[in-house]
Amino acid sequence: MKKENKVQEKKYFRSLEELEGSKEYKEKAGREFPEGASEMNNDWSRRNFMGIMGASIALAGLAGCRRPKEKIVPYVIPPEDVIPGIAQQYATTMPFGTSSYGIVVESHEGRPTKIEGNKLHPSTLGSSNAMIQASMLGLYDPDRSQKVLQKGKEKTFDDFTAFWVEKFASYKDTKGEGLAVLSESFASPTLARLKKNFEKTFPKATWATYEPVSDENIYLGLKFAAGKDLQPVYDYSQADVILSLDSDFSLTESEDITANAGFAAGRTIEDEQSKMNRLYVVETAFSGTGGVADHRLVIKQHEIVRFVNALAKKLGVKGSQETPNVDLPASCNAWLDPLVQDLIASKGKSLVVAGRRMPHGVHALVYAINNELENLNKSVKYVELRDVEVSSVDSLKALADRMNSGLFSTVLMLNANPVYNAPSDFRFKSALKKVENSIHVGLYNDETAKACSWHIPTTHYLENWSDARSVDGTASVVQPLIAPLFNGKSAVEVLSLVVSGEFVDGHTIVKETWKDLVSGGFDSSWRKVLHDGVITSSSSKTITPDYKSEYIYEVVGYLDQGNKDGIEVVFASSPSVFDGRFANNGWMQELPGAVTRIAWDNVAQVSKKTADGLGLKSEDMIDININGAVIQMPLWVVPGTADDTVILELGYGRKGIGRIADKAGFDVYHARTSSAMSYASGATIVGTGRTFELANVQDHWSMENRPIVREANKEDYEHHPEFAKHAVHHPPLESMWTEFKYDKGNQWGMAIDLTTCTGCSACTIACQSENNIPVIGKQEVRNGREMHWIRIDRYFSGDVDDSASVEMVHQPIACQHCEMAPCEQVCPVAATVHSDDGLNSMVYNRCIGTRYCANNCPYKVRRFNFFNFTKETPEIVKMAMNPDVTVRARGVMEKCTYCVQRISKARIEAKKEDRLIVDGDVVVACQQACPANAIAFGDINDPESNVTKVKDRNRAYDLLAELNIRPRTSFLAKIRNINPNMPTTKIKPVDSKH
Amino acid sequence: MAQIFPSWTNKLPLILLVVVVGIGVSKVGFFSYFGSPEFTDVGYRPDQPVDYSHKLHAGDLGIDCRYCHVSVETSAVSNVPPTRTCMNCHTLVNTDSDKLAKVRESWQTGKPIEWVRVHKVGEYAYFNHSIHIDRGVGCISCHGNVAEMEKVTQAEPLSMGWCLDCHRNPGPNLRPVDEVTNMYWEKPDNQAEFAAKIIKEKNISPPVNCAGCHR
Repeated sequence: MKKENKVQEKKYFRSLEELEGSKEYKEKAGREFPEGASEMNNDWSRRNFMGIMGASIALAGLAGCRRPKEKIVPYVIPPEDVIPGIAQQYATTMPFGTSSYGIVVESHEGRPTKIEGNKLHPSTLGSSNAMIQASMLGLYDPDRSQKVLQKGKEKTFDDFTAFWVEKFASYKDTKGEGLAVLSESFASPTLARLKKNFEKTFPKATWATYEPVSDENIYLGLKFAAGKDLQPVYDYSQADVILSLDSDFSLTESEDITANAGFAAGRTIEDEQSKMNRLYVVETAFSGTGGVADHRLVIKQHEIVRFVNALAKKLGVKGSQETPNVDLPASCNAWLDPLVQDLIASKGKSLVVAGRRMPHGVHALVYAINNELENLNKSVKYVELRDVEVSSVDSLKALADRMNSGLFSTVLMLNANPVYNAPSDFRFKSALKKVENSIHVGLYNDETAKACSWHIPTTHYLENWSDARSVDGTASVVQPLIAPLFNGKSAVEVLSLVVSGEFVDGHTIVKETWKDLVSGGFDSSWRKVLHDGVITSSSSKTITPDYKSEYIYEVVGYLDQGNKDGIEVVFASSPSVFDGRFANNGWMQELPGAVTRIAWDNVAQVSKKTADGLGLKSEDMIDININGAVIQMPLWVVPGTADDTVILELGYGRKGIGRIADKAGFDVYHARTSSAMSYASGATIVGTGRTFELANVQDHWSMENRPIVREANKEDYEHHPEFAKHAVHHPPLESMWTEFKYDKGNQWGMAIDLTTCTGCSACTIACQSENNIPVIGKQEVRNGREMHWIRIDRYFSGDVDDSASVEMVHQPIACQHCEMAPCEQVCPVAATVHSDDGLNSMVYNRCIGTRYCANNCPYKVRRFNFFNFTKETPEIVKMAMNPDVTVRARGVMEKCTYCVQRISKARIEAKKEDRLIVDGDVVVACQQACPANAIAFGDINDPESNVTKVKDRNRAYDLLAELNIRPRTSFLAKIRNINPNMPTTKIKPVDSKH
Repeated sequence: MAQIFPSWTNKLPLILLVVVVGIGVSKVGFFSYFGSPEFTDVGYRPDQPVDYSHKLHAGDLGIDCRYCHVSVETSAVSNVPPTRTCMNCHTLVNTDSDKLAKVRESWQTGKPIEWVRVHKVGEYAYFNHSIHIDRGVGCISCHGNVAEMEKVTQAEPLSMGWCLDCHRNPGPNLRPVDEVTNMYWEKPDNQAEFAAKIIKEKNISPPVNCAGCHR
């Protein structure tokens, strides 16, 4: 098939308004900030304010001249190893469902401030994601529960212990009759040991495990396939062809960090001759992963099930011929042949993954497909599940049913919040009323806590002892960085109390478990574990299950689902608040969604066609009726969404949790039932006639139609390796004045690879954590005052009316540190100046807030403190701040500094060792966090440094180089590896005349 | 017709100019002297909770600065000693001195002594002690001769201009690293030669750009 050689430039747009070129959009884009942004939003006008300020200055007068007395408070007995001014690093682990992330935490005089990945841990490999970074803020959340409560009255933990000791004796006698535990899922040797003890002590008790967003379907599918519990471990770097079936592996699925890293490893290309992997994504709505896809098929959720079935048949998977043939949309049929061809051609070098929303039958089938493609023990391996407690909706159902029948006198809920997030048909809240003693152990006085007779505040993972196993079985320790801030008790301690009837501290309990885990002398091995955070050689046995064709029939039950008329509803986990656990985290709430670019709210995402069909537009408030349950929330049009589908993110609409969570979004859980945990069909949407204002940042900081993003298909790249540089032609650039030669010493520079960036936003939150960037709230985001130093721009291209044709690109933008910086030329007070190592520095104390610099910045990366955002931060949240970075006050401009504090540290340390700074001494926060290794940073004056080599690649280009401003940050053009045999409506992205 | 204005008014513009310029100059002069850290900060000598004498300890007894200020060589911060450092000696020496009542109280109750800070640069300036010690800048260069101070007094303005004077021309303040804490080290006659040699050897190039100290 010869493709039509359509030479047409791709048009990129951020929003439908931009695409239409509406008047409102042009007005918005033309302004640095929306109208009135410099006015205070309270009752005071600026004039009024100036008047009052004048009076206060006159009154304050000379009293301000006195030097304030500052105290120095040393230790009485200094703790070992603490040197004031030198941060310590501790290895610990962040447990997250059945995953766990090994991290290294920076602590300043006992105050943890920053999280990085632990290089020794198989699930982080030294990098991290946004949720890990943001969990730092969760530690200092002043809205966390701080009191033991019994029926709303304040008690102490001793009261609870006394209460339990009494109960313990009677339950021990009855072998646990009437006792139940509902736990979150975990992968922890200690918790697994305590669970075993629980079952031994109370053989007649019930144990249920539930997570609202879990990998249950994956485990269930594999259990059918292999007859035993298995954990899949993927190695994306081993795959040349990857097929994702509704799996957003780079962002919202489990193990996103290793997935990003492996995927990027197979996609990082040196030049046009390098090999790169190819990604096919079949999904319903855009995910981060869909954005990096080479080919993307947009179909409804239930059609994906049919697609997988048809794929198995085409691939000739044994047993698949006997499953029924089901009709597929035409777009799928056109896809199948070339896809199958490509997969077979890469036998043993391919990978098929399915997302957690897919029913378990699909996962069994995916196992069979990978087996057929000979990928087992190459790109995917299966290991035994050890010490893992998998979420089970059935176990929660059994628990709720028996609670309703009054069979339980005591139910203990460990870090679970079923009143909020259990399937609505379980009616958990009314079931709780039938339980005499309901005990809730959790971080917040949340929906469940309020419905329980006891509430025990628990510890943040940075406050307690525990342990974890990574998905490959590597054991790691969770050690506290700080004593519990609010006197919480950890899940380990509470469970141990429940099991033994006496309180033992977490440290002792965890050490007890680890006596069997470490080899050699305990004390020395334990010290090594505390140092490394992990036991490196403790991964689980790989199992190669026998292939049986019967289990393929598991998929049959799902094949005819979803045929109902109406709209299909998809329940998605949120990339910001996940299942609701980050709902009170300001950093995550203010992080714009990877696709929607909406902060502070969840929305009903639909395609343009669907919205037009309903006569609705973005920000219209709608009623979504899902088989009787009604959700009211705003609609948002997202190009590239399957038609007649609405995507709803879980985890918002909390009530009574805290000052952040309560204002944000709409609850979706109340319309989610156990029969349709992933998607439901037959929904209807009606407009309410009202609108709802959203904080959408997609049109903020627009660079207005300049060739910002540059991309090419692999084939075109091979013909025109220098295409990115040729995207813009300009006359020779000459300066008006004598230029400073930046040719001595270290010259700092950065390069960002758009091919591997998946828009996961780990960099944004890492930067926020490192650089003390304030949270400003929804209204201020609406006003265009968001403060993120590194933002992710998201562009669409293609025909919005044809979802299949839409592509998405993410581009991280921070200060480009131009050598001929336009901002510096307009600052009247020299508050932004250049250093001789090429940094565009911002001198806060000189800044008088004219904002000329921001107006003159072509990249729109300068952020202005319109208000004293930090001043209003609660005292305890200030503990999360990095003492090495200035906290900015009202009225000053700020922006990316290339982490100058890290550069200074490296420079000083190198000098003290009488050496020069070597490549790798300076690792900036965004670079360190990036799981895809897409950001390179270093000395561009050193020809051997990594960043120099990356910048020398032929697809490197500088943004707006034609302005002769010489940015220090370069981008590597995005390359898509298009399969020439695939049907495509795509427009060629580059003009190939050059 | 008689003149409306008498003839002396011809000089009025000149007088006005002189007065305006005079007021301007004296204002600038006034504030640049009385408002400068040389005037406002040098000589700052707050009362401390404990009447600790540097003259006695560092001067007469000759205890090295680093006995108490241990982190000065390794950290950005030079620490103020914990109570335990005092008690290392004072469990044996002057055990019932009145002056030490607060130290003993701190030792017994575990409540730290709250010292009053004397030397302070702006919080937006990130001074690092360890690198200055490593390059061979003596304590005395910034803190004055502490060995002769009964009560610690700010000897230098610690202003940005003062910092930059040395960053631009570090030579006069350099000395051998093993002499940094010596308050009585005398500059050799060939200081310029010595400084040039050490600057070359150690590649001393103090940052003079904003980002060198401000983050």
